[in-house]
Amino acid sequence: MSVFDKYFKGWHFRDSSPSLSTGDELSVFIAESNSNREGHAYIGDTHLIVEGAGPETVEKRVKVRVTEFDETSATGRGEFVEIVGESSYTG
Amino acid sequence: MSDGSDDSAGSDPADSFTQETGDDGPKISFYGGRGMSAFPIAFFILWAVAQTALWRISDTAGLIVGILVGLIVGMFFVRGDWKTYANTIFEGMTQPVAVTAIVAWIWAGMFAELLQDGGFVDGLVWLADVAGIGAALFPAITFVLAALFTTGIGTGYGATIAFVTLFFPAGILLGANPILLFGAILSGAIFGDNLAPVSDTTIVSAVTQDSDIGGVVASRFKYVIIAAVVAFVGYVFAGQFMGGLEIAGDAQEVLVAQSEPVGLVHLISMGVVIGTAVAGRHIVEAISWGIVFAAGFSLIFGLTSIGDIVMFNAPSDAPLAEPLEFLPVLTVVEDANAVGVGGSLINGAAGFFELAILVLLIIAAAQIMIRGGAFQAILDWSIENLATNVRNAELTMVGSAALINAVITINTAAEVAIGPYISKIGERFNLNGYRRANILDGQTAALGYIFPWSGGVLAGFTAMQTLPGEYEWFETGMLVTPIDVVPFVFQGWLLVAVFVVAALTGFGREYVIDRESEEVARI
Repeated sequence: MSVFDKYFKGWHFRDSSPSLSTGDELSVFIAESNSNREGHAYIGDTHLIVEGAGPETVEKRVKVRVTEFDETSATGRGEFVEIVGESSYTG
Repeated sequence: MSDGSDDSAGSDPADSFTQETGDDGPKISFYGGRGMSAFPIAFFILWAVAQTALWRISDTAGLIVGILVGLIVGMFFVRGDWKTYANTIFEGMTQPVAVTAIVAWIWAGMFAELLQDGGFVDGLVWLADVAGIGAALFPAITFVLAALFTTGIGTGYGATIAFVTLFFPAGILLGANPILLFGAILSGAIFGDNLAPVSDTTIVSAVTQDSDIGGVVASRFKYVIIAAVVAFVGYVFAGQFMGGLEIAGDAQEVLVAQSEPVGLVHLISMGVVIGTAVAGRHIVEAISWGIVFAAGFSLIFGLTSIGDIVMFNAPSDAPLAEPLEFLPVLTVVEDANAVGVGGSLINGAAGFFELAILVLLIIAAAQIMIRGGAFQAILDWSIENLATNVRNAELTMVGSAALINAVITINTAAEVAIGPYISKIGERFNLNGYRRANILDGQTAALGYIFPWSGGVLAGFTAMQTLPGEYEWFETGMLVTPIDVVPFVFQGWLLVAVFVVAALTGFGREYVIDRESEEVARI
């Protein structure tokens, strides 16, 4: 991305519940996880349940493969691939 | 103090610097529950409010004592071994967020001082003069020039002082309204404090949200420029209706005497820093180039001498002082108090030394709060009650950043304290680092220059009080009372309004899936 492009990126009104596409590989922060090793990621108000994302992934950025997504309820499911990053604060 | 039972592993200093991650359970237990781990920060905030807002003492060293006392008293509430508490202070102080900000500040401080000492403001005054700016338009143009200047030097406080000292009397002589003029200077400082890649608040906002500074600057341009266009129109409009003061004498002559067009060459030095930072170069590299250009131009055009940049003031009894006195960087001084190293570089860097220590200690106190569980408690409560969806989360981020900056005079300190909270709330909704940094710094820059106890207003008001002593025609009645300027800091109010609207409408919102900020190592 050129320097000029960086200034004009983001001049838009972004949906509070962004759509996801099945098959996409996304990198997202996991907000919480339950005992079934299902992690929950919120992309805005879109709710993605990540199978295989256990407590060790909470507040970490993980790669997720989207397996299903419902536009109307803005909810979906995905498979955990790997941890790719940390939170800004690791505490 | 701790119980003194150092085991062999604990006595190794290197152990204190180990970053422990992945353990979410509270590490330190406090009498009175996990909320007590917020004691050092809460004590510091109360101290800061009392010192800066109630007693109007804008002194960073005083704040350092405040956080130190908070950290010491907080230790008495620790249940069990105090060593963990002490080690957590080290753990916090060695977080990359603190040291990267400090390195960037010191570089930025040197650059800013070179520009100020290199006659940049004089160049701007000359420009206003030759362009034939009248009284009605003067506040609007002052806003633009102050914005430009602050974007170059990065320090809004420094820019406010420079403009109040040089531009404010010029504007009054031209017949501009003093309140509007002071408001325009503060607005320009907000613009630059928010947008400059070398600004301390820009650096803190980027580093605390794990984002590169160039990307942060480019992505926040849209919010800043919208507020600035409306603010500019506001100053043009208000300038027509708010009259100035009657002053005898020849205003034009005073203006011309102050002006020096060659200082405008530093527009290039400024452009070098902004260009290289936005192009994604390391901020240390970008500012180093700016320092080289600024020093080079100042020396070539005779705006400054090598001795003004670095000067060794040696005592006469030093072995090689008098034989080497011919060197342009060496002066032999008789007064023992005058011994030392001076010049733009040291003055610029030294301006940040106290702030650097303060920030290290605030981060340490924040780490105590994280390890003790109070941070998680506040976060849980916010997520449960306030940040229930992404829109409310963004409004919570705007509101909390605005509130803490409204009560703590030194906005960089407030920004460091609230940084982790903004990060956690934003990450929960996968808002990317740029969006989080922009929400954080918008409020930090704006609220740091509005209220009578804000650092920027205090800096400007302090500088203004020297004017009656400097100019014969300047009467004390011409001074602006800080409370009067509050409604006229247009850029500040508009910037907060832009972010409230942006949170409500989704304007400029970016998720991690839209774009990830570049790694912080490249700040």
